Amino acid sequence: MADKMDIDTVNGEQKEEEKTGGPVAPTEKIISTNFALINQAVDSFDPRFTLRALRSIATLRKREDFAQALGAGIRQAFPKESNNARRVLEEMLPESVRQQQNGSASASVAETNGKKDEVEVVEIAEVWAYLGLLVQVYLLDTASHQAGATFSLNLVDKLRSFNRRTMDPLGSKAYLYLSLFHENLAPLPPSPQSPVLSLRPKLLAALRSAVIRNDSDTQAAVTVLLLRNYISTADITQADLLVAQTQFPATAANNQVCRYLYYLGRIRAIQLAYTEAHSNLEAATRKSPTTGAAVGFYQQATKMLIVVELLMGDIPDRATFRLPVLEKALAPYFKLVQAVRVGDLGGFVKCVDVNEGRFRADGTYTLILRLRQNVIKTGVRMLSLSYSRISLRDICTRLSVESEESAEYITAKAIRDSVIPDSRLDHENGYLVTTSGRDVYGSTEPSEAFHERIGALLGMRDECVRAMRYPGNRNREAGIEAQKARERERELVGEVLEAEDEEDEEMGGGMDGL
Amino acid sequence: MADKDLHQILSQLSSLSHHNLDKAPHLLSRAKLSLLHLNALVPSSQTSPQHLTLARRVLEIGALLSIRLKDTDAFTRYYQQLQPFYSSNQQHNAHKGEQSKVTGLYLLLLLSLGDYAEFHTQLEGLEVAYGGKKAIDEDVFIQYPVRLEQALMEGSYDKVWGETKGERVPSEEFGVFSEVLVKTIRIEIASCAERAYPSLPIASAKNLLFLDSEGAVIQFANHRQWLPRDGRIYFPQQEAEATMGEKDILVMSGQVIQNTLGYARELETIV
Repeated sequence: MADKMDIDTVNGEQKEEEKTGGPVAPTEKIISTNFALINQAVDSFDPRFTLRALRSIATLRKREDFAQALGAGIRQAFPKESNNARRVLEEMLPESVRQQQNGSASASVAETNGKKDEVEVVEIAEVWAYLGLLVQVYLLDTASHQAGATFSLNLVDKLRSFNRRTMDPLGSKAYLYLSLFHENLAPLPPSPQSPVLSLRPKLLAALRSAVIRNDSDTQAAVTVLLLRNYISTADITQADLLVAQTQFPATAANNQVCRYLYYLGRIRAIQLAYTEAHSNLEAATRKSPTTGAAVGFYQQATKMLIVVELLMGDIPDRATFRLPVLEKALAPYFKLVQAVRVGDLGGFVKCVDVNEGRFRADGTYTLILRLRQNVIKTGVRMLSLSYSRISLRDICTRLSVESEESAEYITAKAIRDSVIPDSRLDHENGYLVTTSGRDVYGSTEPSEAFHERIGALLGMRDECVRAMRYPGNRNREAGIEAQKARERERELVGEVLEAEDEEDEEMGGGMDGL
Repeated sequence: MADKDLHQILSQLSSLSHHNLDKAPHLLSRAKLSLLHLNALVPSSQTSPQHLTLARRVLEIGALLSIRLKDTDAFTRYYQQLQPFYSSNQQHNAHKGEQSKVTGLYLLLLLSLGDYAEFHTQLEGLEVAYGGKKAIDEDVFIQYPVRLEQALMEGSYDKVWGETKGERVPSEEFGVFSEVLVKTIRIEIASCAERAYPSLPIASAKNLLFLDSEGAVIQFANHRQWLPRDGRIYFPQQEAEATMGEKDILVMSGQVIQNTLGYARELETIV
């Protein structure tokens, strides 16, 4: 958001062009525009131009003529056909794209704005890296995973050897695609023979070099990819160790922070640290985009958040399930929440069985199995709230527990765990007796709840203030120069006026001479 | 030569009965030495499959024997040493049975130590290693600790009691843990009972706590600082709670004051 505003003011001309070109801009033109942006990024050492170029990847890959435009772009960037860099990229594209007639290529070049022609597409490494990324995207979309995997390995090795700070945003994306390719190779994770295991040493080495070079983009991206890797093969201990030994860079981009929080929340949930998991997942859902193409992440994070809330004993808010983007995705979770809320053990077991496949795909199945005791706890709580005195046998039937002794033990445990704090068991007559409830507002619970929310909001405000950017130095310099010019003018005027006065005096005197 | 040595030791180990278990550690260290000669104690890509099988067998026997000898540290060590064997690419299907037994025993050990976080982490990894839920569901050795954990979490201690007695126990080694588990649940039940009952007749206490005689009940009660009187046990904890109330208010108001001061400070920074 801040990026867009700034680039608009500084890069006004190009934005206008793209606006008018807008939905009709040919793919090749977009690629050439991005070359210019990348050049500008390298010249001004400002990463925001590169980010702008990267953002267009999403629109590019949906175009039908993506491959041809990519081929044309490669030819435009590296006019010499014998260039090694060009060959590496072209190998990945299909034959038809490589030998395109010169006529169409030159025609498209002539069409482009005169301004573009003047901007020389210097053969810089960043342009090559950008084209490499586009090739990766192309291979991913055509599902050629094996070729993509080998190409990506070469690409990241080359990128790592470059050690240029302007290359960082491009490099971090390259690692993402590398990971994606390997995840799709057979045998798929979570099998222990999956190729993702071979990727780990590479990613760890990349993380080390990123930290040494102070490359926060790659550091963030690779940490997230490593966590994803470990979780996919259920190596939770290793993931935990990684989190403990490394520091997540504070200057990372928002989407990486979201992902990191999500994976961290998952790890903590498996380790039964529910409060921590809850705060992580809540932050992830708050920071994630809720509309557009990235809404899938929001759905996943919300699913995890709901399960963790259930495990903590809270019932998630019903309004969450009614949001239009979440309604369909969360449907089985809604039934789950209903069963837990009422304390219906039979309904819970049925819901879990019916939706087993779905839960497994989401990675929440093992966590949901732990909910069994929550269902029982909630059931006991409901009963104690509704009855001032209820016999153990009735508890036994309602909770679908096998025996009265089980019911007695379960209720005793519930009392000890403060699930039903104001109750007593009467052993001889077999009753559960509930004394009057407490007044919640008399305790400090409301103020604690408020404190949490205030803390979260103040934290968000602090982060916003820190993330604010101010208009670039150029404007300010112009302002200062204008100011100086004005001062000089004023001085000149002052001098002239003084001179006039003197002249007047002199004039009078001079006249005599004349 | 080391090969033949190993085979000999192995046959000796498998023929050990209950009476001469103390010879086992000595035999095991000899076996490990021979494994080291063969470079098979730590598996690498160069070790041949037979050596790998031999090493696995030795380590598994070591693990099971250390359980019988009630040496939990040694068992954990053997389990860690076995991990690279279990996760390596070459699957030796012949001895699959022992793997689930050893894993089940490790899970049970974690349960008795109360380490639920590690228990669940291991359980997550198990599904991956076994390739699917079916295998785990049908595996008696793994289902036993899973069932126990469920019953423990729910609080149905009579189920736990039932599981540790008699035929439900899958094998002898699991039985070693039964004692520890019963002690654990007795402590749990005692703490639950303190909060839940105003008082209990001694006979019911005997049943609840799975103790054998009323004398044991009185002993246990004295140990927990309960007050046995007139054939009933009175739990003194509740009065202590009432006095806590006043102290709490001071603590809480201090917290509220701190919070409010924090808000004032933050708000001042908002221009």
